[in-house]
Amino acid sequence: MSESKSNAMRRGTWTFLALMVLTIIEFIVAFVFHASIIALFLIALVKAALIVWVFMHVTRLWREESH
Amino acid sequence: MSMVSTTPHEHHDGEPHGHEVPWPVQLRSNRLGMWLFIFSEVFLFGALLTARFVLWGEHRPELSQEMGLMATVTLLVSSWFVYRGQTSMEFGDRKKFQTNFLLASLFGLMFLVGVVFFEWNVFGLQANVAGIELFGHLKPSDGVESGIFFAMTGWHALHVVTGLMLLLIMWNKGRRGEFTPERSWGVEGAGLYWHFVDVVWVFYYPALYLMGTPF
Repeated sequence: MSESKSNAMRRGTWTFLALMVLTIIEFIVAFVFHASIIALFLIALVKAALIVWVFMHVTRLWREESH
Repeated sequence: MSMVSTTPHEHHDGEPHGHEVPWPVQLRSNRLGMWLFIFSEVFLFGALLTARFVLWGEHRPELSQEMGLMATVTLLVSSWFVYRGQTSMEFGDRKKFQTNFLLASLFGLMFLVGVVFFEWNVFGLQANVAGIELFGHLKPSDGVESGIFFAMTGWHALHVVTGLMLLLIMWNKGRRGEFTPERSWGVEGAGLYWHFVDVVWVFYYPALYLMGTPF
């Protein structure tokens, strides 16, 4: 593992905060700006991408394990 | 080809022993298998999501926005704790792993209670706190438009139950010292499953609560 534990934890926390902010944004755009289904779907896509990329470590699928 | 693999208790050198699959190869196969399983699940949840748009179109039922938002935040917090637990285990911090997985399970349980007890309102209760309607009013017998709500949240809740069981099993295995930083696939696999359950809700929440105008 090349990165430190604190770095990994920090990345997780920032990702979580980004997800919270995006959730609040989607709530606001739905009720204040009456956003379209497409706009809300795009926000959901960004949130899903964050989870898949950071929380689910999708890049490990094509990474060689050394141990 | 033999499916036998090394276990943490047998060999620690990571080298193949006779017929055994080397651990790095086994780990890659495990990951690929899990992602293929997740991919297959996308079709199930995707079909239900499509049915929502066919049946509801640009409308949605009147649901408690406070409950929907709270459930979403609860599940995101739970996912964050799972990430922290998995990272702790990968760096050999077993205590933090246990704490984080327990917290993740607790928040997962809160989500489940929010959906089944409050939103489904299985006991037909009524309560209003500070203008917030605590219990849902939809019933599965209200018709196919209502049925899709229960189908989507029901299938998702079933996966939450399975995920909770996985998290608690891995917590117990970790407590008994069955994982090491190098050999913690069980923790990683359970984490992948739980995060996928979160990804599904990321799409279901706006589809059920936010998109369109009330009927």
